[in-house]
Amino acid sequence: MTQSGEPVIAVADLFKCYGDVKAVDGVSFQVGRGEVFGMLGPNGAGKTTTIEILEGLREPDSGTATVFGMDISKHAPSIKQRIGVQLQSVSLYPRLTVTELLDLFGSFYNHHLPTKQLIDAVDLGERARARSMELSGGQQQRLSIALALVNDPELIFLDEPTTGLDPQARRSLWDLVKGLQAKGKSIMLTTHYMEEAAELCDRVAIMDHGHILEMGTVAELIGRRFKERAIFFDTSLKLPAEQLGKLDGVTRAAVEDGQTVLYSSEVAGTIGALLALADSLSVEPHNLGIRQATLEDVFLDLTGRALRD
Amino acid sequence: MKTLVGLTVANLKSLTRDRAALFWTLFFPIMFVLLFGVLFSGSGGSKVTVGFVDQDGTTTSSGIRDALAADRSPLTLQIGSLEAEKAAMQNGDVSAVIVIPKGLEAAVAQTRTGHPASVAIQLYTDPSQTQTTQVVQVAVSSAADNFSLAVISGPGQSAVLTVTQLTLASTNVSTVTYLVPSILAMALMQLGVFAAVPLVQQREKGILKRIGATPLARWKLVASNILLRLIVAAVDTVLIIGVGIAAFNIQIVGNLALAAGFVFLGAGAFLAIGFMLASFLKTEEQATGVVQVVQMPMMFLSGIFFPFAFMPDFLRSVARLLPLTYLGDGLRQSMVNAPQVAPMAVDAAILAGWLVVCLAISARSFRWE
Repeated sequence: MTQSGEPVIAVADLFKCYGDVKAVDGVSFQVGRGEVFGMLGPNGAGKTTTIEILEGLREPDSGTATVFGMDISKHAPSIKQRIGVQLQSVSLYPRLTVTELLDLFGSFYNHHLPTKQLIDAVDLGERARARSMELSGGQQQRLSIALALVNDPELIFLDEPTTGLDPQARRSLWDLVKGLQAKGKSIMLTTHYMEEAAELCDRVAIMDHGHILEMGTVAELIGRRFKERAIFFDTSLKLPAEQLGKLDGVTRAAVEDGQTVLYSSEVAGTIGALLALADSLSVEPHNLGIRQATLEDVFLDLTGRALRD
Repeated sequence: MKTLVGLTVANLKSLTRDRAALFWTLFFPIMFVLLFGVLFSGSGGSKVTVGFVDQDGTTTSSGIRDALAADRSPLTLQIGSLEAEKAAMQNGDVSAVIVIPKGLEAAVAQTRTGHPASVAIQLYTDPSQTQTTQVVQVAVSSAADNFSLAVISGPGQSAVLTVTQLTLASTNVSTVTYLVPSILAMALMQLGVFAAVPLVQQREKGILKRIGATPLARWKLVASNILLRLIVAAVDTVLIIGVGIAAFNIQIVGNLALAAGFVFLGAGAFLAIGFMLASFLKTEEQATGVVQVVQMPMMFLSGIFFPFAFMPDFLRSVARLLPLTYLGDGLRQSMVNAPQVAPMAVDAAILAGWLVVCLAISARSFRWE
């Protein structure tokens, strides 16, 4: 999506400690109007703390955070009228129904959308009279999004919206987010699913240990690090690692999840050399394949660990 | 205002749809009223102690005394001066006072010589103590009738001994009447202390945090919780007193405005205690356990189920530390004129003290997540 006008979120030099732990350690970024901005990182990276500062739920130790050009620590009530918030794994009043919860949360705002419209938007029509405790995980998550939309917000925060959902429920949530994006809403989300960030986000910030390591569009992030493509096959001890690194066109060799990955700027030459090497040692590389580098590769390259650790 | 009402209604729905919470807040105290009512209302077989004042001081008057104190009489007599016995009645030591006036023997003598004369026994009773009063009235008037019949010679002659009814407020309270305000105090205590559990639960589940992300002012969240509990307190009060009146015919004779004041002050004080507990408890399981540890001893050590006067000294000093003692005392005094543990102003002041201190601690220590 295109960015226009002044950013809806502007964060500069944000710090937040919990005791000795620096949860957010000097974070700066901006989110443009109509943009879907994702924070990608493992658990404990500082994503949630950052987003909760922007939601007005936490005070930063230092740094500035503005939403709609207003300082969040000074104008929280008027900012809260205009943002929608979905928190990580929150259950709601368990004995209230979907309709009752939406009516209740609507009453907290100066302006709110009709409950019927919200229920239809998240496709909960058949469960409108069900108590929130009776909903499935995916339905609860959709209700939680409906509650975030109750005031027809300009900016929506989604903290790990699909964690713990089955693939089908995740897909349906992605469609929901894309629909919001199409309506011109600005969205900031956190996730530790690389494919989710790639699917939904215009721009991504990769975060770990309270720092933003890299920021940009998914294509930029990959292109910036990997001019190469990845050649992968099942790791076999018989192929000596030092020789693999010296094959034609290989810039780097790595072992990830039981697979050997060769990053190559010249795929045909590398594969030829690889097969020749294997042949000379009388072994055959299994499950050989080629792919573009992904966000996962970027993340591994940046942090040396997998996203879901 | 609309928000506050909406939030209170939402809390009320949450409460009424929670069967366990409903049981503890509404049915448990009523069960207690019924249980104790049945247990104690059966104790009507014992004798009623009344004061006996003999101003005549003759053999005739001592004859009446012996008749009233006979084995099959429902009365036990405590003999003393008019002042002493009236004071005893006001303190609740005797249920009524019977006064045999001077001139009884003289009147009998006159009647026997053909000049009918009459004297009246003065009977002081407390109309609020329906059952006892009835027993005493029947016993005294039948004694007077028997006496008259023995003296007069035939029908048509007026009775030589009659009974004049006088009223005197007593503080002698029947067991059930004592128990009903006590159980109400217990219910209000539980209502307030148990409020810690849903609060901790809402914090643990992140409901408080989620609401914190909306523009709703926090004071409204607190106010709706207080409003909810006060509504339930009012419902509890009506139910408990209603069951007491309907099932056991208890008499509410005190100052209703004062009683209502104690209901709300007590509910407020214990709610503040509940808020304070919620400030320090982290998980729902913890809260359920600690709430029981707080409310159980209070229930049994605060003179709720047996009068303060019957407690051994060391228990009395424990009871004097517990806020429930003062709520029970205030409610009993204002509703049924029961004997006091402390003056009502002291009861109110102590409850107000708990309210202010616990609320201040909660305001400082309560965590929203």
